[in-house]
Amino acid sequence: MVGVKMAAAAAASIRERQTVALKRMLNFNVPHVKNSTGEPVWKVLIYDRFGQDIISPLLSVKELRDMGITLHLLLHSDRDPIPDVPAVYFVMPSEENIDRMCQDLRNQLYESYYLNFISAISRSKLEDIANAALAASAVAQVAKVFDQYLNFITLEDDMFVLCNQNKELVSYRAINRPDITDTEMETVMDTIVDSLFCFFVTLGAVPIIRCSRGTAAEMVAVKLDKKLRENLRDARNSLFTGDTLGAGQFSFQRPLLVLVDRNIDLATPLHHTWTYQALVHDVLDFHLNRVNLEESSGVENSPAGARPKRKNKKSYDLTPVDKFWQKHKGSPFPEVAESVQQELESYRAQEDEVKRLKSIMGLEGEDEGAISMLSDNTAKLTSAVSSLPELLEKKRLIDLHTNVATAVLEHIKARKLDVYFEYEEKIMSKTTLDKSLLDIISDPDAGTPEDKMRLFLIYYISAQQAPSEADLEQYKKALTDAGCNLNPLQYIKQWKAFAKMASAPASYGNTTTKSMGLLSRVMNTGSQFVMEGVKNLVLKQQNLPVTRILDNLMEMKSNPETDDYRYFDPKMLRGNDSSVPRNKNPFQEAIVFVVGGGNYIEYQNLVDYIKALI
Amino acid sequence: MAVDITLLFRASVKTVKTRNKALGVAVGGGVDGSRDELFRRSPRPKGDFSSRAREVISHIGKLRDFLLEHRKDYINAYSHIMSEYGKMTDTERDQIDQDAQTFMRTCSEAIQQLRAQAHKEIHSQQVKEHRSAVLDFIEDYLKRVCKLYSEQRAIRVKRVVDKKRLSKLEPEPNTKTKESMFSEKVSQNPSKDSEEKPITEEYPEKIPAEAQPELGSWGDGRGEDELSPEEIQMFEQENQRLIGEMNSLFDEVRQIEGKVVEISRLQEIFTEKVLQQEAEIDSIHQLVVGATENIKEGNEDIREDSKIRLQD
Repeated sequence: MVGVKMAAAAAASIRERQTVALKRMLNFNVPHVKNSTGEPVWKVLIYDRFGQDIISPLLSVKELRDMGITLHLLLHSDRDPIPDVPAVYFVMPSEENIDRMCQDLRNQLYESYYLNFISAISRSKLEDIANAALAASAVAQVAKVFDQYLNFITLEDDMFVLCNQNKELVSYRAINRPDITDTEMETVMDTIVDSLFCFFVTLGAVPIIRCSRGTAAEMVAVKLDKKLRENLRDARNSLFTGDTLGAGQFSFQRPLLVLVDRNIDLATPLHHTWTYQALVHDVLDFHLNRVNLEESSGVENSPAGARPKRKNKKSYDLTPVDKFWQKHKGSPFPEVAESVQQELESYRAQEDEVKRLKSIMGLEGEDEGAISMLSDNTAKLTSAVSSLPELLEKKRLIDLHTNVATAVLEHIKARKLDVYFEYEEKIMSKTTLDKSLLDIISDPDAGTPEDKMRLFLIYYISAQQAPSEADLEQYKKALTDAGCNLNPLQYIKQWKAFAKMASAPASYGNTTTKSMGLLSRVMNTGSQFVMEGVKNLVLKQQNLPVTRILDNLMEMKSNPETDDYRYFDPKMLRGNDSSVPRNKNPFQEAIVFVVGGGNYIEYQNLVDYIKALI
Repeated sequence: MAVDITLLFRASVKTVKTRNKALGVAVGGGVDGSRDELFRRSPRPKGDFSSRAREVISHIGKLRDFLLEHRKDYINAYSHIMSEYGKMTDTERDQIDQDAQTFMRTCSEAIQQLRAQAHKEIHSQQVKEHRSAVLDFIEDYLKRVCKLYSEQRAIRVKRVVDKKRLSKLEPEPNTKTKESMFSEKVSQNPSKDSEEKPITEEYPEKIPAEAQPELGSWGDGRGEDELSPEEIQMFEQENQRLIGEMNSLFDEVRQIEGKVVEISRLQEIFTEKVLQQEAEIDSIHQLVVGATENIKEGNEDIREDSKIRLQD
């Protein structure tokens, strides 16, 4: 479940807002003010897995320390009593969590309790806690209780996901499986709507909602509209009153929420990726902005009888502070490789400068003309010393990206992902194919069974007419020989039949890839990134279906695809069904949410679309 | 935007209380004060640790308040011309410096003691971690307050240095103007000579000495100390040269001063880094020693092993 927030103007991003909200919570629910001579206050942070997932992309351990947190612990772990310390809880209001909190109260683990619930707690559960607090005569110790409305995970300044822990619950499969019951569907929808509601509370704006008809997205839209409406009507407890908008938020324009169902475009999620961030996500173990690498330490031949070298596990955080990542996460991979090389060279140049200073310093003791040299060199030395931490940080980032990019490159080479990418692009843009699909599927070197299945599914989805029975049998045999499971094909067949009834299949426009020659420039400069045999493919930008829909809706363009999208405005007093948009002006801000899961390719496509507009 | 439901919680507490009363369930001692003690079976050790930690913090707070209070007066450079309201003599400043320093020393000693004690007492891992983090925070607080102190001290030192520099500059323009006056006027007052003493000390003696032999040749009613035009010129030139020399010396000294300040700053940074690395280097040393021993043992084992092999 991925949502992308686009804004032409730079309002406070959702990441900043969520971080500010978290910091306030950690500061005992009082706005945080930096005071350089303030007394230290210490506290303990208790969270559950949901809370952990929300906090970890936003605040590092050091930042937690800076807020005065001495220990951060999981709710359902063994915790010892620590006297004289206030505890800040950040948990979901679920049964087990409430039980454990009551247990904590009874065991008198901490001095005072600041309870913060990720999404709103029900009255009855609140009474459970009250009961436990009474029983433990700890009512006075419960200092504050808050509903935080932070039930979503922000990964980028402009991208958020619903959850990480139980993402199976709201996945495409959960929503679209044929054997789903009504109650299960209700639960799924409620979970989605709760998170989206929290998102808009944190954003401080009430959106105008548009969604396609007859899809899961429509169900979400109806429920979300209802929830927002109810909250706005309740004047006393409305979460969208003036002070939630925050200082400086003077956009009189309301944002547009586009609710899209995954079924409009199943090919893009299966598509092989070529931009840095998308590749890292597709190929490596990448969650919540953290990538886990398994490094094999040393590829040299080990002497006979020696112990096999252990694989080191390393994990890296790809954060907003990482300038290289911010600059290149959307770049095609060959560009990334080149840039890492460039960064490494410039770093080495700076390092040499510093080393040169060292030798000059050594000389000047013997030289009598030292005084004149001295004046220049002390200045140089001071600047060198002050720039050293910067240099070290740069080195760390270069190492990080070298490792990550090398790992990605290994995968690309092993699975021939560049071939897949090019081929799929050609299929999706309906240009002529130079190699037969059967060849690629039967090629034992190219890719895992999963890769082959993905390729075939994309072919099947994009084909104007279904392949003939004989052809299909051939393909099926080739796929089974390669070790693929044919179940996905069954589903796609059904889906295609259904989708054909509903509307024309989505077209992908004229995406072409230009191949810039087999041996890239990088190889010629003798770098580590020996991309021999890997095609240096460059993407020519075209809009994916999701981006096109957004474009139509934001600019109020007329288009058969989006004309009969439903229109919801929670702030309107009556009428919750109108296909006629009241608002005729183009929107400035939009949030795109895919019910059933988005992906980094679509995210990147939207980011590029915005860049092209500015 | 977060919603404060504390009031709602308290209301729930009341509801639960009344409900329990109605149901006849024993209320858990929330109302009765005496019951509280009974219920607290495990008497929470109010913690030596935390009360002492808070003591240290309040001490540091006092130091900080003290420094901030007197900061304005301390920095005030013109206190010698201001009224008594804001005056602070140098001795008072020195006193403040000393007091602050002893205070800081005692505070850091107290922190060290607390740390040692926290390590000795047997507690769970979590409590240990928590305590060491708390001590880190307190140390950090102390550092920040010390920064206050060192900042204002640096300002004071800088002002003193500047003042000295300014006071050195004073005679220069005077001597220069007096030079020109001297060279213009033919008949000079002996008092002017004495003003040039710092630069031309030996000349006043020479002047009367040399003036006397001239008396005979000129003898027009000029004073004993008058000099011939050539001599005047000569002295003038010499003076100019000396002034030039002094100026360049002065410039160099100023440069060197600046460089020395920079160097001292660099040294500070370096000492900090070296101290940081000290711990690491110690551990590396340990590791290396351990490794050498292991290697030695390994060699011996191999030797024995090969001996045994040869015997077979």
